[in-house]
Amino acid sequence: MYIIVSPRIGNPGEAFVPAEETNVQALLDAGLISTDAPKKASKVKSETSEQE
Amino acid sequence: MATSVYLSNPAIKINSVDLTDQCTAATITYTVEALESTAFGDTARKYTAGLQNNQITVTLYQSYAASETEASIYNLVGTSVSIELSPTAAGLATPSATAPKYTLSAAYLESHTPINASLGTLSTIDLVFQGSALTKATS
Repeated sequence: MYIIVSPRIGNPGEAFVPAEETNVQALLDAGLISTDAPKKASKVKSETSEQE
Repeated sequence: MATSVYLSNPAIKINSVDLTDQCTAATITYTVEALESTAFGDTARKYTAGLQNNQITVTLYQSYAASETEASIYNLVGTSVSIELSPTAAGLATPSATAPKYTLSAAYLESHTPINASLGTLSTIDLVFQGSALTKATS
């Protein structure tokens, strides 16, 4: 799965589905796309308010 | 007589990379080679259609910044890639009869000039993509 890095390809972070004649290696070498999976947002525990 | 003119402002994608904002000129030459079929008895030359021999030439500003011209083009030399052109940006995304999209799906890039510099001027590069059948999308 390829991920869009550069806005010249599309929206960064979205999956990139190459067309048939797309030179994927050239895009990877140029850093325009990556093979990394999108990072998930870290979960932050919400503080519970204590009621007296 | 009614006339229609348009401001030359095409949109271009090379190998899925939108380089519209670096492009200053683009030409599509749609060619079907003429094969002579004249024979004895004919009084004028005749031709029949041969192979398509298409070409797209573009002029781009050179830029060595990340995701810009040099990064997008350098690795394409010696390979066949898809190149898409439309008279408008909208036509590139959703082609129509008045904004068609032209595509060479496997055009060969033979050469590139990584440095083409003259003192005091912005550096540009001229690229020639050749081969592949030309398709015209209107929907």
